[in-house]
Amino acid sequence: MTGTDQTQSPVPFPGHPHGHSTGQGRSAPAFRCGVVPPYLLEHLAAVEDPRFEAAAEAARRSLRVDDPIRSLRLERRTSALPTLPVQAVPGITTRTISDAGQLQRLPGRTVRTEGQPPVADVAVNEAYTGLGDTHVLYWSQYQRDSIDGHGLPLDATVHYGRDYDNAFWDGERMVFGDGDGEVFNRFTISLSVIAHELTHGVTQYSANLAYQGQSGALNESVSDVFGTLVEQYAAGQDTQSASWLIGAGLFTEQVQGQALRSMKAPGTAYDDDVLGTDPQPASMDGYIETEDDYGGVHLNSGIPNRAFYLVAEALGGNAWEAPGQIWYDTLTGPHLTENADFAAFAQATATAAITRYGVDSAEHGAVLAGWNGVGVVFDPLRAAS
Amino acid sequence: MKVVVSRSGGIAGLRVTWDVQVDEQPDAAAWMRFLEELPWDEAEDSAPMPDRYVYRIRCAPHEVVLAEPQVHGAWKDLIDRVRAASER
Repeated sequence: MTGTDQTQSPVPFPGHPHGHSTGQGRSAPAFRCGVVPPYLLEHLAAVEDPRFEAAAEAARRSLRVDDPIRSLRLERRTSALPTLPVQAVPGITTRTISDAGQLQRLPGRTVRTEGQPPVADVAVNEAYTGLGDTHVLYWSQYQRDSIDGHGLPLDATVHYGRDYDNAFWDGERMVFGDGDGEVFNRFTISLSVIAHELTHGVTQYSANLAYQGQSGALNESVSDVFGTLVEQYAAGQDTQSASWLIGAGLFTEQVQGQALRSMKAPGTAYDDDVLGTDPQPASMDGYIETEDDYGGVHLNSGIPNRAFYLVAEALGGNAWEAPGQIWYDTLTGPHLTENADFAAFAQATATAAITRYGVDSAEHGAVLAGWNGVGVVFDPLRAAS
Repeated sequence: MKVVVSRSGGIAGLRVTWDVQVDEQPDAAAWMRFLEELPWDEAEDSAPMPDRYVYRIRCAPHEVVLAEPQVHGAWKDLIDRVRAASER
């Protein structure tokens, strides 16, 4: 319990009665959430007292992140602004970053906790900021308070293993390797990768899609969808200007490739002498039957990935709005079973679109066309009922 | 006799395969003893974990699939040896 340490909440927080402990395992307020009014962010950003540097930097960053979309968001959500309860402070992150010191032991040594200023280690800061950016999207757009919806602390470990070419969610924390330096850079370099891992946690606490076969590929795809949405939201990119790449920057310059995956054009992310060609299928025609990787969950995810892209392309604008909302409603709604296949998931997205936007709305039409575009066949009449 | 280790999964979803021709190794006899003592029939299924590696190890007539957290002790030793021999 670190929340009672006043040094972690260096700035008084108007409107929030709790500068410190909430009594629920959460600690100091962060300034990165959609609940902080812009005038306050501007005030914080202008503070020059070195004691308040962390908060000022967080506020400046939040302003930068939010600028292009803040006004839009406020305008759009007149009836859905989150209320601030008196007792608890939802939407406040409690981040703890640990360093495994290149061993494969978790959690490692704590190196940065919520509210502490940046450290010299770039991987630590990238993980800290990336978790914050991910939380900001979930909280401000979908009013989801952390991984479990109830402010679960966000824990991550960096420098896991030696030359470790991977990142994963172990059921409790996000873990990032340094890469080998020849093929892979450090895995915290990509915000979409960080958000991908955190989203595995969100899925675990919601639809809990079984990590095998089509439900496993959907689990993977959901992590890619929100991985890219976090990146697009943080960068203020709309559907047209976004790259739709997962893991851009992860490959070293020696690799002929832009990223791990392309949601816009699955199968085109890399084409390299050593790695081969990106094997992801973009439609059901290319569905891969394999025993590897729990039935090719990282390969067949290309199909629902592209379906999401097609929905976003059809609707235009910001993908974290209607397209992201429909996928979020699907993931957290009542219509998805743990063993859902592509058709069942598609049906659930159509139901979610109808529930939120109405039958035959543009959103509903875009969802139907998106799945049709990747060859996933389902019964839209059942979705409407 | 050939040992093939293939690693799939991980967030990148890249499949990597390493193999070694045991008979061609300078310490072939030691390899054979090591392989015979591995607990081939004792590996248990484990719950999948997102983005973790999956290892498939084949050495006829044996085949075993291990989730990353199961790779320790003699199995880790084997994978490290095959990988080192394969990359030599």
